[in-house]
Amino acid sequence: MSQADWEKPKHPLKRKRSQRLQFITAGAVLLVSLLYLLVSGTLQGARYFITVAEVLEDPAHHGPTLRVSGAVDGESIDYDSENAIIRFEIVHIPSQYDDLAQALHAALSDDAAPRMKIVVADAAIPDLLQHEAQAILTGALESDGIFHASELLLKCPSRFEESSPPEALGQIPEHN
Amino acid sequence: MLAELGLAALTLALAGALYAIVACLYSVRAGEVRWLQSGRNAALLTCPALLLATGALAIALLTEQYQLSYVYQASDPGTPTLYRFTALWGAQRGSLLFWSLLMSGFIAGAILLNWRDERRLMPFAIPIMMASLAFFVGLSLFIENPFERWWILVDMPAEQQAVSSALIPPRAVPPSEASLQAGAEGMNPLLRHFGMVIHPPMLYLGFVGFTIPFAFAVAALASGDLSNNWLRATRRWSLLAWLFLSLGLILGGRWAYDVLGWGGYWGWDPVENAAFLPWLVGTAFIHSVMIQEKRGMLKVWNMLLVIAAFSAVMFGTFATRSGVIDSVHSFARSEVGFPMLAFWAAMTLLALALLAWRWRQGALRDERQFAALLSRESLFVLNNVIFIALFVAIFWGSFGLPITSELFLGKEVTIGAPTFEFYVVPLFIAMYILMGVAPLAAWGGMALSRLGGMLRLPLLLTALSVLVLTIIGTDLLVAALGYGVVLFAAFVALVEVARGVAARRRLLGENPLRAFVALFGRNQRRYGGYIVHLGVTVIGIGVIGSTIFQTEEQHTLNRGETVTIQDYSLRYEDFLRAQAVDGRLMNIASLVILRHGDEVARIRPRIDEYPQLPMSIAGAHSTLENDFYVLLIRGDRQRATFRIYINPLVNLVWWGGLLLILGTAIAAYPKAQR
Repeated sequence: MSQADWEKPKHPLKRKRSQRLQFITAGAVLLVSLLYLLVSGTLQGARYFITVAEVLEDPAHHGPTLRVSGAVDGESIDYDSENAIIRFEIVHIPSQYDDLAQALHAALSDDAAPRMKIVVADAAIPDLLQHEAQAILTGALESDGIFHASELLLKCPSRFEESSPPEALGQIPEHN
Repeated sequence: MLAELGLAALTLALAGALYAIVACLYSVRAGEVRWLQSGRNAALLTCPALLLATGALAIALLTEQYQLSYVYQASDPGTPTLYRFTALWGAQRGSLLFWSLLMSGFIAGAILLNWRDERRLMPFAIPIMMASLAFFVGLSLFIENPFERWWILVDMPAEQQAVSSALIPPRAVPPSEASLQAGAEGMNPLLRHFGMVIHPPMLYLGFVGFTIPFAFAVAALASGDLSNNWLRATRRWSLLAWLFLSLGLILGGRWAYDVLGWGGYWGWDPVENAAFLPWLVGTAFIHSVMIQEKRGMLKVWNMLLVIAAFSAVMFGTFATRSGVIDSVHSFARSEVGFPMLAFWAAMTLLALALLAWRWRQGALRDERQFAALLSRESLFVLNNVIFIALFVAIFWGSFGLPITSELFLGKEVTIGAPTFEFYVVPLFIAMYILMGVAPLAAWGGMALSRLGGMLRLPLLLTALSVLVLTIIGTDLLVAALGYGVVLFAAFVALVEVARGVAARRRLLGENPLRAFVALFGRNQRRYGGYIVHLGVTVIGIGVIGSTIFQTEEQHTLNRGETVTIQDYSLRYEDFLRAQAVDGRLMNIASLVILRHGDEVARIRPRIDEYPQLPMSIAGAHSTLENDFYVLLIRGDRQRATFRIYINPLVNLVWWGGLLLILGTAIAAYPKAQR
């Protein structure tokens, strides 16, 4: 009986240690795999999100895949529906702004603001590709001086946001 | 009148919520239950008050009271009645009010249904719920007031005369009805879709629903009642919130598929991701909660998950509503950003501080330790690791990387859809495998040989299916393997249900139908869970098919001309311009779809011309096999250009979603009291 008491705690302790080791090993393998997934994915897919001026000014940005944001010039939009090619120009907007709608409007009112030609191949023309929309493009500035985009995201803030009160409301009604 | 009524009701709701906080907390100090009852009554009052406020806004929208600047912003005289009503959640201010109403409804339900059994938790749960509600009602009253009206200040210069104000400014007159009607901005055309009628309410119900488990978890920490009472009180609420969030996400995908015109349903947009994050944490929670109930383990972890789910909801709300994130879904840039960030941080820190305090006291010690790697609890923990890894990866890609790179590099770094897919595909594979293996493992541990025996039949069925798929033409090995992984989880669920039915027939002599129904009635949670798993596998099959095998082509056709794509042909029949009752012009193309030479459908893709922008409405011929989805790019009677997508199995995504909802409803449905 006394031998049994002496024997009993020894095996569970050993088993417990080996189980703990199993859990720690499994956890470590899992953690390293997940970190590898996250880090390698980020290194492969991370893109600088920069402005039109930065792309044009810095030769280091000519060639590599980037993400760039700018204001769409509505007059420049041209869609070749036979070949599904979208061509348009975007105008520089600063990376920091208080109001996107105002920043887009100001950019397109400034004739001296840097502009960049865009080509998007094999794409349907999006409904949101309108004057004063914000375009967010993924692609590269090629040697032809044109930014060839593989992805195009658009936002039209001015069209749906509550803007300053319309002038028409400022007229005092006649019955008053 | 409606504006005054709405303002008064909002003020009453805020006062009720604040009083409820004070009365409930005072009841703890004074030890008097009448204060708690008084606080409860005030908390319950917030729901009818907010119903009144929301009703006032809805009536203002329906009766075209354009002096209310929200009605002016979100509708116009051409808006159809249905969309006039849905304009209630079509822009920031209305949707915040609607959000508060839904939250107050959830809270009233949680108080009434748990009042008798969970009295000990109520003095803290009610204040937490009311603090959340008071915060959102406060936003509506002080920052994003939906009852502001346009006024003309007669003493001001012309360009400064029109102001929007909740209170009547001195020497102000209302603008003329004609000018209001003429200037009304109208609803964003992207929101004029049936999906928008129910997608936002479902998503909001999912979001606000997580307030209830959070409040009861914090109440358990604050009161010291750290038994399983808080879990019992909130299990169904968590499932209900998860159900609505799932429904909201599925409907959101459907809306994107129908409206955004790119033939897809998930774009890894930051706002989509912000709604997906609480779903991932919520899914982890509804699995790990079983371990605490059955084995008394993971007490701290479950608390962390509940806090994380609520925190993710608040962060997602901040991300969407502050306007700081560029997304097709986001609201306009708003002043609510900083208060939301502060509220999110305050609630999260309060909960974490309470958790740390109780943890240091040793009050959350687990009753058992993990005994074996191959046990149901270990595999459920692994499932949690997968969901949290998905959460971390998606959060990192959507918010973490852009914010940290901006802080430390001075430049924003972002990732696109391919990188998100790189992150999530291996994790989803692991999730599907676990979905098959974990439910078969025994609590406490089991031998590998026994588990292998149970897996033999599902594995055999999976191998056979992959073989059949390869023979009938799934020529991509990666797709066949993908289907295999997903089908394995489905076969486990089906075999388990069949085993259950067979056991009842053998032991009780029931007929198959009766045994099937009784099986679900006896163990709703287990078998409802299997239906959910089946739904997720059906979604998985739809995602693999529509992602890997999607065909996309663009063709310009003369009238009467036909183009052939795979075994379909498309004939351009006619083109017409028409005006809808709301005034928009519609450019409609008529097309005939033929398959193997036989006409199978006529579709009419169109472009609607709204004042703000054109809207492409796809024409689609839907079958379980695929969607033949066509967008009109431009055209006239002679010639038109079409973008044509064939999306194989895409409808399984929606059917799988329905199965998931059905399974969750079965698992959450209250058992009849005997």
